[in-house]
Amino acid sequence: MAPPRAVTATKPKKKADGKTQALKVAKAVKSGSIKRKSKKIRTSVTFHRPKTLKKAREPKYPRVSAPGRNKLDQYQILKYPLTTESAMKKIEDNNTLVFIVDLKADKKMIKAAVKKMYEIQAKKVNTLIRPDGKKKAYVKLTPDYDALDVANKIGII
Amino acid sequence: MARIKVHELRGKNKAELQGQLKDLKAELSLLRVAKVTGGAPNKLSKIKVVRTSIARVLTVISQKQKSALREAYKNKKLLPLDLRPKKTRAIRRRLTKHQLSLKTEREKKHEKYFPLRKYAVKEIATFFMDTVNSYHLSVKSETLSLGSDH
Repeated sequence: MAPPRAVTATKPKKKADGKTQALKVAKAVKSGSIKRKSKKIRTSVTFHRPKTLKKAREPKYPRVSAPGRNKLDQYQILKYPLTTESAMKKIEDNNTLVFIVDLKADKKMIKAAVKKMYEIQAKKVNTLIRPDGKKKAYVKLTPDYDALDVANKIGII
Repeated sequence: MARIKVHELRGKNKAELQGQLKDLKAELSLLRVAKVTGGAPNKLSKIKVVRTSIARVLTVISQKQKSALREAYKNKKLLPLDLRPKKTRAIRRRLTKHQLSLKTEREKKHEKYFPLRKYAVKEIATFFMDTVNSYHLSVKSETLSLGSDH
């Protein structure tokens, strides 16, 4: 027994609809307008994950309200110049300045910091870590800058 | 340089504060060089003063930035995580006040049709005394009966 339906008027309409639909499909098959979905041939034994859509992020709110300030700026990188006898020798003979720098600074950062602080161009930077844990940087200047003049300007004589 | 006063700093705008910060940092680097080359004691004692002034300027900068950000996010629904109340991890995971107050339809109807009534009882004093008196009379009669038996 069919369950009671709210609208029974559609029942006879459905029967007629089905007939017309069947006729329509038969016509389409005869004309050849329906394409049969071909089964995909697999040429490999392994199944690889199909590539799907990857959407870029569009956050509704930033997780951090403002990006933090750069804590390793040029003032933090170059701590102080060395004034030992061997450092003085380097200034006179090899046109280099010797600095104690921050441990987290690399040669590129040191080069940029020296340029910013003292308006000089470094040819190359050699670094080492001292036994007491501090980083020492030998900054060789280009020939058009004189290390002695720069040292006088900085205050180390 | 005169002693830096914070209430003066708060009046400045961001660019001025950054400029002041730069000057202070440059001064600090000079003082550090002086320390290495055996500088005068007045210079060496200044190091601490400059360091604390730098700290003051940075504090004011960050406070201003934070308050400006809070203003910007005032009426938005979703805040960045560092602007949300910090409290403790457990408190943040508790049900909100609104969520606790929610009731089912059934409960609401029950409360509507069967509210907790307030009432008072009348004439309890006389009722109580009557029962007490009747008890005493009954006890007396019992004791009399016992006495007669003996």
